[in-house]
Amino acid sequence: MKAEKLKGHLDLLLLSVLSRGPGHGYEVIARLKVRSDGAFQLPEGTVYPALHRLEGAGLLASSWDVVAGRRRRIYRLTAAGEAALAEQAAQWRDFSGSMTRVLGAPAAPAPAAAGGRA
Amino acid sequence: MSGGTTDTPSDLIEDYLDRLLVSLSGTPRQVRHTLAEVEAHLRDAVAEGIAAGLPEETAQVQALERIGPVHAVTGRPAALARPSAALLRRLTLTAALVGGAGFAAIGGAGLLGRLLQALKGNLFMTTPFPPGTYTQADCSRWLAGDPGTRSCVTAMLADHAFDYLLQAAACGLLGLAGLAGYLFLRRRWSDRATTTALPAGTAEGLGAVLAGAAAVACLGQALDLETVQRGVGVGEPLSLGIAATTAAVAFALALRRCLRAARTRAA
Repeated sequence: MKAEKLKGHLDLLLLSVLSRGPGHGYEVIARLKVRSDGAFQLPEGTVYPALHRLEGAGLLASSWDVVAGRRRRIYRLTAAGEAALAEQAAQWRDFSGSMTRVLGAPAAPAPAAAGGRA
Repeated sequence: MSGGTTDTPSDLIEDYLDRLLVSLSGTPRQVRHTLAEVEAHLRDAVAEGIAAGLPEETAQVQALERIGPVHAVTGRPAALARPSAALLRRLTLTAALVGGAGFAAIGGAGLLGRLLQALKGNLFMTTPFPPGTYTQADCSRWLAGDPGTRSCVTAMLADHAFDYLLQAAACGLLGLAGLAGYLFLRRRWSDRATTTALPAGTAEGLGAVLAGAAAVACLGQALDLETVQRGVGVGEPLSLGIAATTAAVAFALALRRCLRAARTRAA
């Protein structure tokens, strides 16, 4: 999926990924790739301003820890983040369901002409 | 913070982090934290590439491609990024060096002009106004400034030459002050973030281009006056052109020295 399309949903994706447990930036990106089966690929650097923005909004909190020999900033969801995730996920499901209903099921291929000339 | 990678000035990761450092804005703590977490990210990505069998340099290139340009991390398009303190310091140093040297060169042109005035006279230095373009009051003012002569044109030439020399001297003093300020600030701002905020030789290159353009313009005007007006008024553009040429050569030599030093550091 193109990075531009992902940008509008990045906050929701990050909140969702971190709802499964705290993680540092690199780990968050890796989880995002795994959970989307590799479909969600964006310039990895764009995740950091989003994480910082969410922390500034009080939806995430961070602390520093040493993991695998490196000092890392570990992000975790706050109570406000959990509430925001629940609200945004519900909105997304409504929107997604509506879109699916409008678009309908993929059109079946046109049946071949029966019979033919005798 | 480093692990699995060399930490040399030519290290691609280090270069990226240098560019990120001078592009980040925020409090010193925010800048330090972002830099630390991005470095950990890049070292992880390089280690992952090496574990997958890539040579270290290829792993670095791949890690940088994945993280994207610096402005992806800062969250703003590069053109909209607020200049960092390091960049502002580097720009101030650049302006002080180029501006100081430029004004000092004008001061040097004044000294040369004084020599030319002594050797060739005021008519060589400056062009008189055409008849009818000045008033009797102007003449009286010029004659009052040069009581030794009764000719309005002669007094006018002396006045113009004096004005040129006075203004050049003022510029020269301003230039020396600018260069002194540059030397003072360069000692205070010798940190790596400031010195790498712009590519090596930026100030010297800019100075060489500006001084070179000024030299071409002034010498061209001097040549034109020499051929069209038979030497009248050649002194001002000639002295300025020679000073600008000297400044351009000095800047070009400094640029060459800077680029050689940068290549040596990178090797």
